[in-house]
Amino acid sequence: MNKNSKPGEEPRVKLPEADPRGYFEGESMTRRHVFTVASQAIGGVAAAAVVLPVVGFAVAPLFERGEERWEAVGPVEDFTDETYKQVVITETPGIGEAGKTTAYVRTGAEKYNEEPNDIIAVSTRCAHLGCPVRFVQAAQNFICPCHGGVYDFEGKRIGGPPVRPLDRFQTRVRGGQVELGPRYSVTNQLKAVRVRDPGEFTGGIWEFLYPPRPSTFPPPSN
Amino acid sequence: MKLLPSRKKKAEADGSENGEVEAVAKPTRGERAAQAKQLATHHGTQSGIDVAGWVDSRTNATGIFTAMMSRHVPKGTNWFYTLGSATMFIFAMQAITGVFLSMYYTPSATQAYASITHLTNEVFMGEFVRGLHKWGASLMIILIFLHMARTFFFGAYKYPRELNWVIGVVLLILTTVMGLTGYLLPFDQRSFWATIVANNITASGPVVGPYLADFLRAGPDFSATTLSRFYALHMMVVPGLIGALIGAHLFFVVKLGTTAPPWVRAGRPKGSRPTEAVAAGVAVEDLDEVAVNGAVTVADAEPPAEAEVDAAEAEEVEAKPAEETEAETAAPEPAEEAAEEASSEEDGEVNS
Repeated sequence: MNKNSKPGEEPRVKLPEADPRGYFEGESMTRRHVFTVASQAIGGVAAAAVVLPVVGFAVAPLFERGEERWEAVGPVEDFTDETYKQVVITETPGIGEAGKTTAYVRTGAEKYNEEPNDIIAVSTRCAHLGCPVRFVQAAQNFICPCHGGVYDFEGKRIGGPPVRPLDRFQTRVRGGQVELGPRYSVTNQLKAVRVRDPGEFTGGIWEFLYPPRPSTFPPPSN
Repeated sequence: MKLLPSRKKKAEADGSENGEVEAVAKPTRGERAAQAKQLATHHGTQSGIDVAGWVDSRTNATGIFTAMMSRHVPKGTNWFYTLGSATMFIFAMQAITGVFLSMYYTPSATQAYASITHLTNEVFMGEFVRGLHKWGASLMIILIFLHMARTFFFGAYKYPRELNWVIGVVLLILTTVMGLTGYLLPFDQRSFWATIVANNITASGPVVGPYLADFLRAGPDFSATTLSRFYALHMMVVPGLIGALIGAHLFFVVKLGTTAPPWVRAGRPKGSRPTEAVAAGVAVEDLDEVAVNGAVTVADAEPPAEAEVDAAEAEEVEAKPAEETEAETAAPEPAEEAAEEASSEEDGEVNS
């Protein structure tokens, strides 16, 4: 509407015709459109200011790595290369029994081309869906009670639904005491890789289908 | 929502008798205005202002309630149609018992089991309230599947109700999420290991699985945050979503109406001819004077006396055009259709 004219009169100053209607030359938006877009943008910013922090708050644990814990499980002399000794360690402190897990520890055996000074700590977390496996002396096998997964003495899968060998814990000796550290997973050839959840394959193309999570520790160098 | 024809007439009659009321609501605004007028007559102008009427005239609560509870349902509606409501009432029961259980429950990994033991064994009626919640959870899943089966076998998922099917499937998934998150809360051995397994199943999905599992657990391992996270999902997030979606589900039920069972013959819109009629050269006018049965039929809410009169009229004035005979309430079938319908068990309900 021209300010200088009353309705029904010819405008005193002839303005260019709006073409298309509502748009003058050089304009890409009508006034109404500008205000619509602006108010929507402000609303969007306000919503994002609330939603983004909340979402970040909820997904933050995906990007946080916990403290590296090492726990002493007994003097070196307690462990042999012939059989496993059962030890209990705390993986997650502060939640009582739920944060504890069992591991089977032995020293390296020549039979499996291992250094005699090595300490091998096998996790009891089944590589199928995470039930606790048990080492059966008579059979020299690890057996899972849930779905019948069976692993040999080294922890390699020999039966049932598991998709990879049993996980292991990093080990070291400090002042004559064996210490267990972060967990890592292994391939079928027992090569150390970054820890996976149960049910996930290791090695080959699976390294890409199950990408490494920022919340886990890198594997020990082989 | 439409008023029933008889009430609509009554409302209009009231309005024309009372001159004052016409200023309150214009008769041209249709049924809702007629209804408001009726309310004003009852609660405002004549009997003074009472609280219920005051609220009602501002919210139309009675109108909404009437539209929901006295809506038209198809001929053949039966007990199978109550499964959805049954599921909703179980959800209400779960919500109520859940809120009260939370008064004694402690979502902490070290105290959860002790609080559940205390609740079950020492709190008055604790075992009963917890039992309701526990068994209600299973019952809700069973009812959902029965409701879903009814919808499927009656073809009630078809146009225009596809969106309601989709909402229903989302509700089913959310209910299973409730089952998953609620299972951990007692925090006994079974809860704990079932959750470990469920998390690892999540993790075994390629590419996104590991991250989803990390999100659920709030970290690479089961931790103190896992339990409170499951508790928050179980108490706040998922029930809120379920409540909202039940609202949407109900809205569509009221808006679109329900379907007739498959053994009730589908209705024919006025002014259309079925294929047989087209082939036989029967004119629309000749067809429309008879009943339009099935999904669009109204057989439930009409006062019996009036319905009988209508039926009698319809039989008497067969030559008249369909609009005048109120054909939807009741009328004779064409011979071949009547023969088919005679075997139907629902046939007796036509004139109610």
